Amino acid sequence: MVHVFKTYPSQISALSDITLEISSGEFTFVAGPSGSGKSTLLRILSCAEKPTRGEVVVDGVQITHPDFTKIHQLRRRMGIVSQDFKLLRDRTVNENVAFALEVTGHTRREAKGKASDMLRRIGLKEREDAPILALSAGEQQRVAIARAMVNSPSLILADEPTGNLDAKTTLDVMGIFSDLNHQGTTIVFATQFTGLIKRFPYRLIPILNGQVSDGKKVDTDEVREVKAGE
Amino acid sequence: MTFFLQYVMRRAFQNMMGNLFPNLITIGIIAVSILIFSTFTLLAFNLTNFLKIWEDKIEVIAYLKRGTPSSEVEPLLDRTRLLEGVEIVRYVSPYDAMNFMETKLGGQKNLLQGIQPALLPPSFEIQLKKDYRNPAKIDEVVGHLRETAQFEEIQYGQEWVDAFSALVHTLRLTQWILGGLLLIAIVFITSNTLQLTISSRREEIEVMHWVGAGPGFIRVPFYVEGLIQGLLGGGLAILFLYLLHQGLLLHIPPSMQAWLAKVPILFLPPETIAWILLGGTVLGFFGSFVASTRVLRYK
Ligand SMILES: Nc1ncnc2c1ncn2[C@@H]1O[C@H](COP(=O)(O)OP(=O)(O)OP(=O)(O)O)[C@@H](O)[C@H]1O
Ligand SMILES: [Mg+2]
Repeated sequence: MVHVFKTYPSQISALSDITLEISSGEFTFVAGPSGSGKSTLLRILSCAEKPTRGEVVVDGVQITHPDFTKIHQLRRRMGIVSQDFKLLRDRTVNENVAFALEVTGHTRREAKGKASDMLRRIGLKEREDAPILALSAGEQQRVAIARAMVNSPSLILADEPTGNLDAKTTLDVMGIFSDLNHQGTTIVFATQFTGLIKRFPYRLIPILNGQVSDGKKVDTDEVREVKAGE
Repeated sequence: MTFFLQYVMRRAFQNMMGNLFPNLITIGIIAVSILIFSTFTLLAFNLTNFLKIWEDKIEVIAYLKRGTPSSEVEPLLDRTRLLEGVEIVRYVSPYDAMNFMETKLGGQKNLLQGIQPALLPPSFEIQLKKDYRNPAKIDEVVGHLRETAQFEEIQYGQEWVDAFSALVHTLRLTQWILGGLLLIAIVFITSNTLQLTISSRREEIEVMHWVGAGPGFIRVPFYVEGLIQGLLGGGLAILFLYLLHQGLLLHIPPSMQAWLAKVPILFLPPETIAWILLGGTVLGFFGSFVASTRVLRYK
């Protein structure tokens, strides 16, 4: 993305002049304190939000081009874990994961089977038929992750996917993300949790007040904390 | 393709079941609207049919002046036959007229005692060619007949036919005006129910957007829902109309039955039924289309 600005209608400037490139196959942390613009950045990448200014190219497609309309085709190559899960409360765990496949042209049986596999992988196989509301926040988060991964996307945009997980499941989930990354999946991972960044030696894009911070321009405790991962 | 159909039907069915009450109300209102429209259609259809039968039977009777010498009858007959639009001309002599009246009066034929056949005027019964059995053409033929001096009076049921066809005209007009209003009503109501369905599926639609479901996968189930509402509403309306029609036939007083034997009360012909069902379906579809352009924006 090149010189991207995002100003919300309320005149809150969430991103200003962000320029960055994430290569295919890379695992990237986007880190910064609450309100720094991580979600906004990911929402722009997933075409959920249009930048106020600037150009964005995702997977070779210029999504800021006025003629760009095939959002759904691009989204099928993406797995999105949103900060607020966006699970369907009146469906079971398996149905939630299978839903992603069913509405993108897979048969019901196929969808159910693949969803089962993915849930096994993420450690929720036993809870497969439970209604979503019977799950803890951490379990719901893992369902959201399973749904993002079930259609084997080439890019995963995960917004604080470990925000509600305990230390052990966080590591499990990180393990899954790492595996996927080894298999070639590009991963953009937003977090404010510095422990993770210290632990996993992936590329870090620190964000502060809507700007990519190089640690020199602004020198606050928060940045030092973020930079601690490097 | 079959998979997509299965998917669409399943989703449409789920949506309808999830919003059963509004759906039933909608189908009910569509059914009532279409029932009103098709009742008028049926009425107009039967009256038109009646009018046709009636017009088919129309005859012009030209009474000759009393005492027209029989030597003049033959050439006059020939001349009348040659008139444009005339198919058959039958000469009814005073004796024939007498006989006819006698059979008509049956047991009361003594009423005719003392009446001399010669008192009755001889007449020509003129049957017109099929194309001439309508108001404008009849007037044309009658005009020609009036030019013949030997005809004293010319009778035909034209006034009645005119009045009746004016009635049918009004009915048809009412049918279409009403149809127009109901059409708007149906689109309005299906679009409203569909907006309800769509907003109750807001979360699902959002997830569908997230996971990259194509517009077809998101929209077509709603279109199908509107379509089904229209079709079911139309079907119910036709069913009710049929029951009504049957019930009416059963309750016709015997005194009218003999008369009606000549003029059957028909039900709508299959192609009209098909048109009405198709109309309902298209309107339902259109309603859901309106709803989805109003509330389903692709994000
Ligand atoms: N829809 C919105 N309308 C208006 N302002 C918004 C909207 N979304 C975010 N913002 C504002 O933009 C700024 C960046 O928000 P963003 O959600 O990107 O932060 P974040 O880094 O994801 O924070 P967190 O770690 O708490 O999730 C914040 O000041 C926020 O208040
Ligand atoms: Mg956020």
